[in-house]
Amino acid sequence: MNDNAGNKREIRKTALILGGIAVFFYLGFILLGVLRA
Amino acid sequence: MSSAVTDAHEHDHDHHGPAKGLKRWLYATNHKDIGTMYLVFSGIMFFIGGFMALIIRSELFTPGLQFVAPNFFNQMTTMHALIMVFGAVMPAFVGLANWMIPMMIGAPDMALPRMNNWSFWILPVAFSMLLATLVMPGGAPAGGWTMYPPLVLQTGDAFPFLIFSVHLMGLSSIMGAINVIVTIINMRTPDMTLLKMPMFVWTWLITAYLLIAVMPVLAGAVTMLLTDQFFGTSFFLAAGGGDPVMFQHIFWFFGHPEVYIMILPAFGVVSEIIPTFARKPLFGHDSMVYAASSIAFLSFIVWAHHMFTTGMPLTGQLFFMFATMLIAVPTGVKVFNWTATMWKGAMTFETPMLFSLAFLFLFTIGGFSGLMLAVVSSDIQYHDSYFVVAHFHYVLVPGSIFGIMAAVYYWLPKWTGHMYNEKLGQVHFWLSTIFVNVTFFPMHFLGLAGMPRRIPDYSTQFADFNSIASIGAIGFGLSQLLFVYVVIQCVRKQGAKASSEVWEHPKGLEWTVPSPAPYHTFNDPPKVAAEVAFS
Repeated sequence: MNDNAGNKREIRKTALILGGIAVFFYLGFILLGVLRA
Repeated sequence: MSSAVTDAHEHDHDHHGPAKGLKRWLYATNHKDIGTMYLVFSGIMFFIGGFMALIIRSELFTPGLQFVAPNFFNQMTTMHALIMVFGAVMPAFVGLANWMIPMMIGAPDMALPRMNNWSFWILPVAFSMLLATLVMPGGAPAGGWTMYPPLVLQTGDAFPFLIFSVHLMGLSSIMGAINVIVTIINMRTPDMTLLKMPMFVWTWLITAYLLIAVMPVLAGAVTMLLTDQFFGTSFFLAAGGGDPVMFQHIFWFFGHPEVYIMILPAFGVVSEIIPTFARKPLFGHDSMVYAASSIAFLSFIVWAHHMFTTGMPLTGQLFFMFATMLIAVPTGVKVFNWTATMWKGAMTFETPMLFSLAFLFLFTIGGFSGLMLAVVSSDIQYHDSYFVVAHFHYVLVPGSIFGIMAAVYYWLPKWTGHMYNEKLGQVHFWLSTIFVNVTFFPMHFLGLAGMPRRIPDYSTQFADFNSIASIGAIGFGLSQLLFVYVVIQCVRKQGAKASSEVWEHPKGLEWTVPSPAPYHTFNDPPKVAAEVAFS
């Protein structure tokens, strides 16, 4: 049973978390470059 | 349950159709319109990238320099790859996702429709910018799609345009992936549990997670290239204490999962089609889900198999070799499950099934040559040869692109409400399958005989197989005009009317709505009845 179907708040929360993960990977790998260089 | 679904009813849109004219497309938020735009865009890019491939193959038809200067040849190989990977294959699958995922999970639309519009419209901007580099001083990027420094830093005025367009492509993909995940997680009809989801939805969910994890990594890598070129940093410049090989590590940490981003949705497509035309449920639905997840996980720990010749410790070589070989296990699970699905099935061979079967055989050839390349000692011989070109084209053309074609033939009647011309579809299939092998199979022999990739001229000993490959490429390219004709004919409603099921009792919610699918589907969350459930 999917209780979150169509819940706008849940939709925004999930999208923000995923966007945050993307930003984390972007900055993380640049930081890796900074630390390595 | 669901406030948004209820809201959608309150502002009921289903009694009016799409907006008229250009506005319908420019301001599109409907998943079907955006899916159509993605597919059309991908088709245009497919022909532009294909035209570049034909320039490459024309130059290589005979030894010596015929038509183009070596630098332009290099621009063609680079642009062909960038356009096909980011402009043709990936947007085609996003288009299919847009069209099909909401219908398959019983959702009224994608979760974030305005972001969906933005994801799409970024793409024409990105590719206009990339294509504009062809007429810039210094020409288009010519250092290969992998953009290795320090070579890529020798690109002329095109360099910042390349970097910015790659950023935009990444942004578009990330937004598309977020939309797919949020839609699948939050918008499924209430009784569609995760393991009841169709395989196409599952493979796309996994693909979307891969995209979110690796597209930012590519963006990070090209940002560092940009700062090395213009802001005095030395991430990858040995003279400033940087490490060019580090770029390769970062690039392939993106690049290997990218391969699975381009093939997992095709696995999903084939998993939908084979059960329909074998008239049997998919064998081992849940094991297919676990196999796809395993492939996705393993894709993160194999990247350095692209770099065996850069030199690395023996333990590193062994780790990446064995991890790569391990991918054959879940892939084998999938191939055997597809085969078991067909076992004793009442099979018929309509065009989508033919493309799926060709996928099964020919993708497996690409998989086997991948296993050969995984062996370190062999790879050192094969590296940068035409064997590698043969390998990844077998994975991408009769793999990803045949998957896309199978999907288009399978769902086209659902989209247009009319059947395509089956006879012409089958002619297109046979021409494509024959020519794809004529093009790419001889490249195995060329590579094993030592012909390097990315060269405009070659020793006369390679002449025969190159001529054969070039003839195949021209044949394959021309065959695709037939595909366009068949699709246009169907879109112009010249075929027989399609029923809502289209095929004989296919499973899935998309077959419960009329053909063509109404502009707004599932304003009421549908029930997942046993006859359409997958697991």
